[in-house]
Amino acid sequence: MSHDLSAFRAEVRAWCADNIPPDWRRAQTGASPEEFVAFQRWWFDRLHAAGYAVPHWPVRWGGSGMTAAEQMVLYAELAAHDAPRLVLAFVGIHHAAATLLAAGTEEQRRRHLPAILAGELWCQGFSEPEAGSDLAALRTTARREGEHYIVNGQKLWASGAKYADWCLLLARTDPNAPKRHGISYFLLDMHSPGVQVRPIRNAVGDEHFCEIFLDDVAVPAANLVGAEHRGWQVAQATLGAERGLTMLELAERLNAGFGRLTAAAPLDDPVVADRLAGFAAELAGLRSLCRKLVEDTDAGRAGPADASVVKLFYSELLQRITDFATEIAGPAAHAELAKPASSGWESGAWLLDFIGSWEWTIPGGASEIQRTIIAERGLGMPREPAVP
Amino acid sequence: MNTELGDEAIEFGRQARRAIEAAGGDELLTAAVAEPATREMPAGPLLAGLGAWELSPRTDPDDAEAAAALCRAAGWWALPYPVAERLARPLDLDVDGLSVVAGPAPAAPLAGLELRWAVVDPDGNRSRVVGCGEPGDAFVTRLRLEPLDAAGAADLALALVLPCWTLLGMLDRALELTVAHVRLREQFGRPLAEFQGVQFQLTDAEVDRSGLEMLAKHALWSAVSGRPDAVEDALALRMAALEAAETVLRVCHQLHGAVGFCDETTLSWISRASQPLRRLPLGLSATRDLLTRRLGRRPLSGIYG
Repeated sequence: MSHDLSAFRAEVRAWCADNIPPDWRRAQTGASPEEFVAFQRWWFDRLHAAGYAVPHWPVRWGGSGMTAAEQMVLYAELAAHDAPRLVLAFVGIHHAAATLLAAGTEEQRRRHLPAILAGELWCQGFSEPEAGSDLAALRTTARREGEHYIVNGQKLWASGAKYADWCLLLARTDPNAPKRHGISYFLLDMHSPGVQVRPIRNAVGDEHFCEIFLDDVAVPAANLVGAEHRGWQVAQATLGAERGLTMLELAERLNAGFGRLTAAAPLDDPVVADRLAGFAAELAGLRSLCRKLVEDTDAGRAGPADASVVKLFYSELLQRITDFATEIAGPAAHAELAKPASSGWESGAWLLDFIGSWEWTIPGGASEIQRTIIAERGLGMPREPAVP
Repeated sequence: MNTELGDEAIEFGRQARRAIEAAGGDELLTAAVAEPATREMPAGPLLAGLGAWELSPRTDPDDAEAAAALCRAAGWWALPYPVAERLARPLDLDVDGLSVVAGPAPAAPLAGLELRWAVVDPDGNRSRVVGCGEPGDAFVTRLRLEPLDAAGAADLALALVLPCWTLLGMLDRALELTVAHVRLREQFGRPLAEFQGVQFQLTDAEVDRSGLEMLAKHALWSAVSGRPDAVEDALALRMAALEAAETVLRVCHQLHGAVGFCDETTLSWISRASQPLRRLPLGLSATRDLLTRRLGRRPLSGIYG
């Protein structure tokens, strides 16, 4: 490590020691939605004041201009110090920002990037009841009428939509074009008339996923991102834009959670020790893969399937670690039914973490889709028979 | 060993499944989760009406098969009632049911019921349940125990085997729900069921489930015949049941996609209800460890032994 990076690490460590509330897990356990939102906003402001909320943004827009190496240090240290996770700001600071920076107009950037730093929350309106893995089959329509598009349809699995001010929306603008060529990308104001959000209670007992119903919603034509009918290409270009660093953050958090698990585990039991040792080796592999993905993406030499390898590896390892953690925790895990809000996927309420881990192999490209990408783009296997 | 349940047991299981459906089916679980104190009604009288508590699985092999079929039917609906535990009650104690517990903080899914329980640990020590803690997930509660005796070794096998039949019923259901889902759900212009990658996942799950079914029959026969390896056979069954549950439910969740996590789908409820059966009294590693220690270098005698 260079001298500068060591100094930066020391600076982040000192900041963590001074700023991470030592009792946040207790305070966020059983927190009301209002307490959760207030804490998320407070934590975002705190991070942002230090330059740690959007280290990946350009300086011009309020980012920190950190190198990839510095960002890796930042995420590793935040995880190691058990920092709360930015749950509500996630889509805004990553997907919305990446989309605006890559494909937005100057006006759109000026309208939204400062607002995101001031607390504007975003969700993603991509999936639909009939369009999950086959996202391009989406049916929500946007019909041009004068200076507006009139949007009708239904979106599903929009995480955090009940808190969101804005939504990244994909809708079909040309019903007659081949399915990937008639889609447009919009910025949708969630406070517009005709937008209705219904939270969906999931197996962990929370309501983070939502359905969004869109009934004759008028979206100003100025909120189109990229060219009309080219939304699929915009989404493809921006979806993976940050994958390296967000996956690195998750891997570092899993590693820290694993540390909390091993600290409490009965290591004198050879069965437990053997399993934990195996996980430790796998975690070392995952963290290295994430680091390489970030470095290769930064250097413009990432392979077309590298991000898929990381997502598949993380998802399945998370499931196995939380499963075994539930085993070690034994009957007590069944009594631990309150997961601290603002925590990660390895909160330490292991039974809930385990049930929650199942959703990781499904969204953002299900494991079947990741495997197809690895086979076709990574290994050069022939494509599945063509679908119209 | 018998590789098939008798016709009467199969018919009894079929009737039980229909009776539970008529009494509310999946809604019995959602209602009981909302209000654990309602677990007894209507499940208790329904099972009594089926003649469940007149079965004597510890003394009559036909009754043991009927008991297994009943547990499987209860599992199909994830019936919020400890059917297997009640059917496993010991012959010589005046209690309503028997649960296997292990570890320093004994717990079992017995919350919300006004019944008299005994527990047995893997060493055959029996205790009476004298109090319960707050109900947790899936009716699991901490138990306060008063030691009774060390005479429970013979009670252990059946008390381990019957809950595996309940879990088998849950896996039967999860697979049926998933096969129906992938036939119906279309992505990329065709039903998911037409993708070989989807078919292969389901075949792996079905291979595990059917292997579990055969072992369940073997361990039941071993327990009821009082064979010397009955507890080891029961532990081997439990290991297979936990492994199959993991494979089957992982595949079923994956192929349902996100909707499988939502309370709108039966799979989500079944999956959660399966957790205590899979974790208590011992999870997979601890079960494997216990079996290994009990067997030492001795092999299982198996069906031809």
